[in-house]
Amino acid sequence: MRNTNPFLSRSVFGALFATALMAPGSGCVSVPDEGKQPALATHVEDWRDEVIYQVLVDRYANGDANNDYKVQPGALARYQGGDWRGLAQNLDYVQSLGVTTLWISPVVKNVETDANVDAYHGYWAQDLTQTNPHFGDLADLRELTAAAHKRNMKVVLDIVTNHMGQAFFYDMNLNGVPDTNVFGTGTSSPVQHISEYDPDWDPRGVQAFSAAGNAGRAPIVFIQDASINRVPPQPGILGTAAAYHGFGRILNYDDPAQRTLGDFPGGLKDVATELPDVRATMVDSYTRWVELADLDGFRIDTVKHVEHEFWQVFTAAVRARLAKQGKNRFLMFGESFDGNDQLLGSYTVPGELDSVFYFSQHYAVYRDIFVNAHDPKSQKGTDQITQLWAQKKTHYGTVPQTDGAGVAPYKLLVNFLDNHDVARFLSDAAGDKDALRNALTLLVTEDGIPCIYYGTEQDFSGGNDPANREILWTSGFDTSGDTFRHVAKLTALRKKYEALRRADTKVVWSSAHTGAESDAGMFAFERAGGDVSAGGYALVVLNTNAKNRGNTQDGMKTMTVSQPAGTVLVDVLDPNPVQLTVGTGGTLAVTVDPQKARIFVPQAQVKP
Amino acid sequence: MTHATLSPSLQSACKRMKSLVSHRRARRLLATLVSMSALAMIGGVAHAQNPVVVHSPNLPGPAATAEPEPPAEKPPETLPTVIVPPGTAAPTEASPYPQGKFEFGSYGRVRVASDLRGGTGRPSNIVSHGARFDESDYAELELRREDKITADVDSKVVATMALFGPFFHFTGNPSDNIGVRNLYAQARYKDVTIWAGARMYRGDDIYVLDYWPLDNQNTVGGGVGAKVYETKAENGTSYETKVQAHFGMNRLDDTYQYQKLSVVAPFGFGTTDIAKLDRPRMVETLKLRELVKSGKDKSGFKVILYGEAQELSAGVYTDTNTHVEQPLPSETGYLIGSELAYFTGERDTYVALFLKHARGIAAYDPLSVPLTFAGDRSVGDASESLVALGGNYERGAFGLVGGAYFRAFRDASANQTGTQKYDEGAIVLRPQAYITDHFGVALDASYQARRTAIIDPNGSGALSASVVRAALMPYFSPWGRGSFKRPQIYAIYAATFRDSGARALYAAEDVFAQRKIEHFAGIGAEWWFNSSSYP
Repeated sequence: MRNTNPFLSRSVFGALFATALMAPGSGCVSVPDEGKQPALATHVEDWRDEVIYQVLVDRYANGDANNDYKVQPGALARYQGGDWRGLAQNLDYVQSLGVTTLWISPVVKNVETDANVDAYHGYWAQDLTQTNPHFGDLADLRELTAAAHKRNMKVVLDIVTNHMGQAFFYDMNLNGVPDTNVFGTGTSSPVQHISEYDPDWDPRGVQAFSAAGNAGRAPIVFIQDASINRVPPQPGILGTAAAYHGFGRILNYDDPAQRTLGDFPGGLKDVATELPDVRATMVDSYTRWVELADLDGFRIDTVKHVEHEFWQVFTAAVRARLAKQGKNRFLMFGESFDGNDQLLGSYTVPGELDSVFYFSQHYAVYRDIFVNAHDPKSQKGTDQITQLWAQKKTHYGTVPQTDGAGVAPYKLLVNFLDNHDVARFLSDAAGDKDALRNALTLLVTEDGIPCIYYGTEQDFSGGNDPANREILWTSGFDTSGDTFRHVAKLTALRKKYEALRRADTKVVWSSAHTGAESDAGMFAFERAGGDVSAGGYALVVLNTNAKNRGNTQDGMKTMTVSQPAGTVLVDVLDPNPVQLTVGTGGTLAVTVDPQKARIFVPQAQVKP
Repeated sequence: MTHATLSPSLQSACKRMKSLVSHRRARRLLATLVSMSALAMIGGVAHAQNPVVVHSPNLPGPAATAEPEPPAEKPPETLPTVIVPPGTAAPTEASPYPQGKFEFGSYGRVRVASDLRGGTGRPSNIVSHGARFDESDYAELELRREDKITADVDSKVVATMALFGPFFHFTGNPSDNIGVRNLYAQARYKDVTIWAGARMYRGDDIYVLDYWPLDNQNTVGGGVGAKVYETKAENGTSYETKVQAHFGMNRLDDTYQYQKLSVVAPFGFGTTDIAKLDRPRMVETLKLRELVKSGKDKSGFKVILYGEAQELSAGVYTDTNTHVEQPLPSETGYLIGSELAYFTGERDTYVALFLKHARGIAAYDPLSVPLTFAGDRSVGDASESLVALGGNYERGAFGLVGGAYFRAFRDASANQTGTQKYDEGAIVLRPQAYITDHFGVALDASYQARRTAIIDPNGSGALSASVVRAALMPYFSPWGRGSFKRPQIYAIYAATFRDSGARALYAAEDVFAQRKIEHFAGIGAEWWFNSSSYP
């Protein structure tokens, strides 16, 4: 055999060379444009136009199995695998619901786990400068916000300044290790259960002790367990004992000192937010996330546990820094888990927050009236709504914050039925879906910003934490359910009729009756005037009574509205629109089936 | 465990035996050493009646540098050693067979260094294959039995123990890590060689990178190789075509491939173990080598075409954290590559170009498992592309050995970002001056860079990291001048300059995250002799 071509592979070699150079993947590595540093911009015109959807990222959608580190499917106190990529991939779902703003759970790196419960919720921060790898990397977060902005959706970030994750223990017995001990004999001395992770409030500061008695302030000892990222917090001063108050667990929430200086139950140590270094760290750490990902607002956790002066400094610094970069109308709304309306409003005085969660309404309206609809004995009359709303101008800020969100706080309260900290509406309402949908009607049509907790549209009915933090993707992102379609219809109406978003509110009918009276459970309010142009008007009438058809009449008294006599009002909520004509003197008797509602607009303003 | 640590330079050693044994004085010393070693290893029970045979490897080491030269026309009379290159005629003595012997060979590197700050000198590479002078300690000890039964038939049994440093004298820990890198039998019938067992099965390397860029198998299996064509042209140019095929398996102790679970015993009390997941990786390789040697001088070309196919069956493992069963899809992959080498045949001078593209499971080294996956936990879209260059040049009192590569790796994840999507490359040049026959000084200068598809914490785009290194290495080479003469006993000082991207690769608590310059000052030794890692 004679080899006429000594290089058998000459042509093949050439082909291989070309293949190697042109092979998939041989292009230079890069991050997508959406993953790069964004240019900050103002994406919001008026926050009242927004519909917020609260997302627990871990529970929404799993878009990347590669960050499913130690997930335990079905164990709701553990990570489930949801991430920013999953959320970005499933924005169609929330958009079809009519959502315009995503409130995402905290993004920062957390302590992995504590007492066999994971930090899937994100509220156990360890490093304010790093992303939580369970949810993705910075590029993923940026891609989420970019994808949202492309849909004209905004992204609000959940932040915590009051505490960090459980990072240290109080070495009360000075033995250098964290103990959970029982002290006392039960006869000559009382039996005491003491956890060095979470000892009770002591106005002197958590005390050390020995058999001989008191031993002064208990040293703060940071835990060093890298395997669960339980290491001193970052950045800077947050990793030092100086950054924490060290007074122990809050026992009395009505005591202002305990409320602002005490540790949050669960061993979440209270940060000394009065320190200039701490304040600067908080401002810089969280504003940086806005700059990194072009976020549109902060939802701020546990604001009532931080002194007012902090909020004055924090909000001013954040607004100023962002305004310099072209981001205006940045919304900062706080969570004060409290039914005290006056307390809530105190965080919206000039120089502080733009808004707060309307927790007092959660209790006084959605719980007392809507949730309890199935139990007339405990259901409150709708006059309670009137009374609560009447306090808005008194308790809440009445002028927009300087360089703030652009709308006065009392008009910008964040309304909600439930959230991740309370049992779901359907859990408390014994599964009464009519009550849920009726409550949603009020939520989406009332003054302020509606906020829907993820899964509400799927009739999720979990009880208290963590049962109320279900996995959304088990629903298959179904959009055909009655509640989903109801919410979608409501948000569409809110978008269509400006009065439902920007008009002032006037209650035109409410009742103390909850029984068999003709107006039992009836509630009606007008949306007119305010910032609405061209005489926009809407009338919302709800019957919160679960058994009886109701009417806006009580004996000789009939509801009167501001529309002139003869005005024809059309119920735009009903698929078979009901038309009513305003009577002499503006009287209008509206009949509504149990747990139903009507949304009227003048016939001339009805939009297709 | 990095690829680098799994790829010691043993094969380079055996490939370079040619140049080693072609040196008269070297052969004398080597014969003595081999004899002593063999005696030591077998307790003196050597077949003293047979001559000690040093069997040169068939394939070249650094490209063509160790390509077997034509057999010596006349073995040195003064040596008790007979060099028997494969395929050469048997000795002409009457009934010389069978002949048998034990052989001992070794590769090793041991070094110790200070960072000049009171600490240990640390490796500073940020790419898969950077400068090799600060690689971790490693050694292979090979014991081999070789028998020549007839002129057409011979066999050998190879056992290679590998020791992974750091070693006892540094740690005080007598439990060194040991691995069996070779344990196989091989036999030849005329031009056909067949083998089976556990084996490092590798092609040519790039010495300064400690890198086998093309074929680098570590499996249990078998193979066959045959010279399928050989001719000599009228002008003296010779052509030789050789084909090698191999099939191997491995099943790493990782829940990606294997999981053992304890379950309730079917009878009585207690538990019994079951293999919940058992899916070995199947690897088939095919290699075609064309060797062309000039009839005028010792120069020549070598062309290699190489292909791999890999398969992994589907399986199910139990997540021991959640006790939930997780499916793993089946995988396939391929690798194609080539090598083109030119060698002068003089003083180990050569240059070699490597190209490779792999996809699917074949994009992952057989001794590693994927870390990231597509949504269905598959890796079918993973890929690796490589261009590499290696070479050596020696002239007079100077030498230059070098290597470079560019490699693009992409995992199968649909994510556009992640640590498993990166480009990397390095160039290492080691010029040497041979001050005397036995003393020289080398400068090991290198640049390496890696660009990873994650956000640069110090910037906006992908994370780019680079390192510049320069090492000064005066050395003593008892075997004389040459880039591949070993043993080599050296002193070293190296400075490493690391940019912000390189520092960002380390945890904040690590001093490497803070320091821009690293020092590496120490001493070390590297050796290789009489090892056989090739058919």
